[in-house]
Amino acid sequence: MDTLTHLMAGLSAALSLQNFAFALIGCVLGTLIGVLPGLGPAAGTAILIPLTFKLDPTGALIMLSAIYYGAMYGGTITSVLINVPGEAASVVTCIDGHQMAKQGRGGTALGIAAIGSFVGGIFATFALVIVAPPLAQVALKFGPPEFFALMLVGLCLITGLGGRSLLAGLVMAVLGLLIAMIGIDPVRGAPRFTLGIPSLYDGLGFIPVVMGLFGVAEILLAVQQPHRQVIKTDLASLIPSREEWRRSIGAIGRGTGIGFFLGLIPGVGSIIPTFVAYVFEKRLSKTPERFGNGAIEGVAAPESANNAYANAAMIPLLTLGIPSSPTIAVLMGAFIINGLTPGPFLFQERPDLVWAVIASFFLGNILLLVLNLPFVGLWARILHLPYQYVCVGTLTFCIIGAYSLQQNVFDIYVMIACGVIGYGMRKIDMPIAPLVLGLILGPFLEKSLRTSLEMSAGDFSIFFTRPLCLVLLVLAAVVLVASALRLPPREIREASAG
Amino acid sequence: MLKFAKCLSVAAIVAAALTGTATAQQDFPNKPMQLMVAFPAGGSTDIAARVVASIAEKAVGQPIVVVNRGGAGGQIGWTELVRQKPDGYYIGFINLPATNTVILDPERRAIFNEKDFTPIINQVLDPGVIWVRADSPYKTVQDLIDAAKKSPGTIRAATTGILSDDHLAILMTEEAAPGAKFRIVHLDGGATQFKEIMGGNVDVAFDNVGSIVKRVLSGEVRALTVLDDVRSKFMPNVPTSKEAGYPTVISSSTRGIAGPKGMPAPLVAKLQGVLKKAMEDPEHVKKLEDQGIAIKIMIGDEYEKYFAETHAKAKKYTEWAKNRPM
Repeated sequence: MDTLTHLMAGLSAALSLQNFAFALIGCVLGTLIGVLPGLGPAAGTAILIPLTFKLDPTGALIMLSAIYYGAMYGGTITSVLINVPGEAASVVTCIDGHQMAKQGRGGTALGIAAIGSFVGGIFATFALVIVAPPLAQVALKFGPPEFFALMLVGLCLITGLGGRSLLAGLVMAVLGLLIAMIGIDPVRGAPRFTLGIPSLYDGLGFIPVVMGLFGVAEILLAVQQPHRQVIKTDLASLIPSREEWRRSIGAIGRGTGIGFFLGLIPGVGSIIPTFVAYVFEKRLSKTPERFGNGAIEGVAAPESANNAYANAAMIPLLTLGIPSSPTIAVLMGAFIINGLTPGPFLFQERPDLVWAVIASFFLGNILLLVLNLPFVGLWARILHLPYQYVCVGTLTFCIIGAYSLQQNVFDIYVMIACGVIGYGMRKIDMPIAPLVLGLILGPFLEKSLRTSLEMSAGDFSIFFTRPLCLVLLVLAAVVLVASALRLPPREIREASAG
Repeated sequence: MLKFAKCLSVAAIVAAALTGTATAQQDFPNKPMQLMVAFPAGGSTDIAARVVASIAEKAVGQPIVVVNRGGAGGQIGWTELVRQKPDGYYIGFINLPATNTVILDPERRAIFNEKDFTPIINQVLDPGVIWVRADSPYKTVQDLIDAAKKSPGTIRAATTGILSDDHLAILMTEEAAPGAKFRIVHLDGGATQFKEIMGGNVDVAFDNVGSIVKRVLSGEVRALTVLDDVRSKFMPNVPTSKEAGYPTVISSSTRGIAGPKGMPAPLVAKLQGVLKKAMEDPEHVKKLEDQGIAIKIMIGDEYEKYFAETHAKAKKYTEWAKNRPM
């Protein structure tokens, strides 16, 4: 009952002209980012944060979330038409989607992808509405030791799953935590690692750092990619035939389920759900030989999984304050610069904002369906843009954006330095995700650790005498041991390395 | 040739700067002003700041933008404030005694001291309050102190930050009741205090009337005492610390507006005029009092004297806090 009242209030807020416009702009920009190969959702969201700076927090977060899940839709277009994933989660869609395009069924591939994405997104948002409030209620009972342990679990999952080896993941996570310590100590107020530079007293800005690590680094990488040919395919017949519907419906349902459940686990990333959904369909199919040769299920399942995942991943963020992927971490950064800390508390303190943002997901998914079905031809044309102009334009935008954060040139230097570092790390195959997660969770992890120890007058046994805390810590240890023994299948580790 | 051009451009900049300051005071303000709050958006300082800004900007004819520079108990914001030009376009809230303790704590290595600010006007004086869960065994402040004497160092008492006025209030309580000792837990604000009190992770909270008044009135929590010599008009049923027999435990948090040092007197006077009028505005009074925040306007000598007294008191307890075993 309470949830329904909140949701209705949220819907009416989301439908206000202003917020509707922000959702629409977000969806368009998100789709654009998805379409542009090389620029992923994390980069896109980070680059566009400065755009939302002067907006009120509700509008800003509606728009940034729309950019995030909009990019998940848009990536498909590139996958199908030029066989290059517009964002990492559309890698699997390339396999059958591009084959369909070659056979002249590109329109149908994009149509089923949009419909599957819509179903996945809407379902996951409904589930979010049902699951999130009770989960937030439970999380509200967590004390500082439990939060410390919970964040540790999240960080371990991302470290363990996200890279070629546990060691590489750990190195990056610790690096992220160390960078997070730059600035004034949040409890005692002593300056740390500031080298006497006043700009460092505030710490390294999260936004310039992620703009560099993702935005600038991805542009540098994209410059080296050869330009691919856009396939000429029939975009007129978007609606699948009766036979194609029959094949797709089950695939959409299963993809949605897989995406949703994997979205609840931090660290899974956006690629794994699509792989799992694809492999599952192929195993289930009576005609597995069609996969790889333009099977429509091969597009429907991963695309549904992808968007169900994208919306489900908001659940751990909104209820627990745990970002489950770098893009979500960027979104969390956007909450924080708006003075809001995602987590159970936000549900209680700012239900108006939380529910308006959740309600906007419904709106956004409908908008994206419209943007992607009738207007798909328009997006396809963007692929003809010479990439060098796109690169230069995006880079200029990054520099202006970094400066506009607080009119400090220092932020531009930080962004460029992080861009070069991010580029280098990708070249030597070091995972970026643990670094970003360490960076964003660092201050919270530190605060809850120190508060816990104040509660116990410095006695570490507080972490082992509270049952829930102990369970979480054991879970964190299990995750680390499992990934040290390389228990996650090789494909999953490799898939999530991006 | 190049050197000459350089000289010329330097001269031009200097000339522009000089004429700029000369005209600045007459038509001040001729561009948007920034009002810095050293705490995140949504906190009580922030809410009150936004009310003042919205009223004052109508009077000055320029937008007054509230900028939140939260972090490190205000130090980040104040560091930024003292580094601004004293031209009146960037002013900000200082929170006594928090600003004082940041200066006084050697560990913080603050790059500013009490002389780096130009105090302009005080807005709010919010007295301290000690509160517990509604079902807590402590019914009065004496119950609490007796318990803290009986088993010293076990009752977990929450502050809203290290060397905040609430932290100092705990030290004052310990000083006034020899033998009583609390286990101090530094939380980062009233909202966190409420969560941890309700979750049973801390036993008693030291905060200010404005942050908790609504929950006291609704019966969600119980206020034991207000740390003042007169009762708060927002919770008239709660006895003061003076009534309870602890007249030295007087603590409050004040908020006022200051600029960087070196602001010209006419500029300060102009700002005082505009801001005082905004703070006396019925809309401002109502909005603050509805939230249980007590207005106390102080300008000129009165405010400077208050600043100096608070500084001296903060100095004593900061040194005490530094020497107190955990």
